[in-house]
Amino acid sequence: MKNILSISSLSIGYDKNNVLSNINVVVDRPKLITLIGRNGQGKSTLLKTLTGLIPAMDGEIFFGEKINKDLSHKEKSKLFSVVLTSPPAINNITVKDFVAYGRYPYTNWLAVKKEEDNWQINQAMELCGITNFAATNIANLSDGERQKVALARAIAQNTPIIFLDEPTSHLDLVNQSELFDLLHQLVEKQAKTIIISSHQLNLALNYADEIWLINNGELEASTPDFFIKSGKIEALFGGLKLKYF
Amino acid sequence: MADLALGSVHIPLTSIIDILLGNEAEKESWNIILLSSRLPRAIAAILAGSALAVSGLQMQTLFRNPLAGPYILGISSGAGLGVAIFIMGFSVLGISLSSSVWFANYGIVISAILGAILVLLLLMAAIAKLKDIMTVLILGIMIGSIATAFISILEYFSQEDSLKSFVLWTMGDLSSVAPDSLKMLFFIVMIGLVAAFAISKQLNAYLLGEDYAQSLGTNVNVTRYLVILVTALLAGSITAFCGPIGFVGIITPHIARMFLKSANHFYLVPLCVLLGINIMLLADIIAQLPGSDKTFPINAVTSLIGIPFIFWIIFKNKKIAALN
Repeated sequence: MKNILSISSLSIGYDKNNVLSNINVVVDRPKLITLIGRNGQGKSTLLKTLTGLIPAMDGEIFFGEKINKDLSHKEKSKLFSVVLTSPPAINNITVKDFVAYGRYPYTNWLAVKKEEDNWQINQAMELCGITNFAATNIANLSDGERQKVALARAIAQNTPIIFLDEPTSHLDLVNQSELFDLLHQLVEKQAKTIIISSHQLNLALNYADEIWLINNGELEASTPDFFIKSGKIEALFGGLKLKYF
Repeated sequence: MADLALGSVHIPLTSIIDILLGNEAEKESWNIILLSSRLPRAIAAILAGSALAVSGLQMQTLFRNPLAGPYILGISSGAGLGVAIFIMGFSVLGISLSSSVWFANYGIVISAILGAILVLLLLMAAIAKLKDIMTVLILGIMIGSIATAFISILEYFSQEDSLKSFVLWTMGDLSSVAPDSLKMLFFIVMIGLVAAFAISKQLNAYLLGEDYAQSLGTNVNVTRYLVILVTALLAGSITAFCGPIGFVGIITPHIARMFLKSANHFYLVPLCVLLGINIMLLADIIAQLPGSDKTFPINAVTSLIGIPFIFWIIFKNKKIAALN
């Protein structure tokens, strides 16, 4: 069976500054993958490299049997959707119109929405619990609500893979666990592969099928159980707590 | 219609309709005035208004800057330099332009187009090298300044009459478009407007920011090239034929956004065409000073009616509508 995503000897970084090198990971079935690591270790850089927003320094990224360099923007937009840490530049738009951007890869040059498109948009808003303010201007939303809207747009894009860069940073604890629960359901019911970076260790360990741990310029992939038992998470974050609290 | 009716010679409205319908007018002179002077002038105003408004909208979206207009990238300065070299450079060389009217008219148009294309090519090369669009904006402004500096040098060394004809060109003149070049201008502007509408989807995606636009399948670099090409086509051709006409390009997109309360280009582009036409015709009517035999420079009029209007909007709403 072909892999959903396979990364071989990938080096990433900005300009000439190498952040992480020799990354080798294979995703063979739909999974919820949480990317954890301290600030500045390269989580965002990895997500941006995987989505082709910045070039890889070395190595290969395969989506299925296709290498990412051979994929056009159009093909990529039907393969994966992205939510970045930086908010979208647009402000003067309603929630529904914003979520509708997720259908851009599928619509014609006039961006005419078909029945399927409207269904996906409404479904995505429903899942993220934002249907109530569909007609509200996104400028009038709270940061947390805006993060849900951003996620709804990515879900409306209906891609097999979703990349999320710290989508829970402005959410309260209840909303954070609801979001992880939603992502878990998307993986189970719609067979999506979701790669999410987060600082929420508890939730990540609870919900994720797999953890990608970045530490000291290396990426290690394994199950949450493995990391808990081996004490590696303790080593990364626990030591800090002892020092400061 | 009002634009046709008003001018230094009074023609009754009924006669105008008669003439437009192909009937003979009461006076032969009215026929000539209307068909060979006022009608081409009104058409030129329509073309200029729509072209400048849409290219202003495209620039404001491209640079996410409310002050951007069709000339922000130095397209008018490039065209101006071309014309300056043609008008003043030739007279320095001792070649008189008055020897042939045809040569003088087409020479101005061609040199303006060449100047605008030169600036355009420099900017295209810059976009290929530089990733950051703001750097391109600064570069465009600097190219404009260099062109202006060259123009000043030429002005300093040129003779009185050629200086005057250049200054007249910079004031903008809708009536200088000859009927046969009007056809060409119409054709170019139509291509530009259709192209502008056709890239509305990409521009809407571009409003999200470059990374998000790309993740939705939009090729950001190609979009930038297209926007600049369309702007050069629209603003460049209008500048070449009518001279640089200020302000319509900056103000119209703001009015359109205020009406729509949205940044959706599928609606903004047609509305800008509509509003641009009306603003330009109004400016032209005022420029012809109904009831008098003088005509104001159109460029002065667009600024004089445009700026108070912007003030009124700002004080009424406390701010201008958000760009995106």
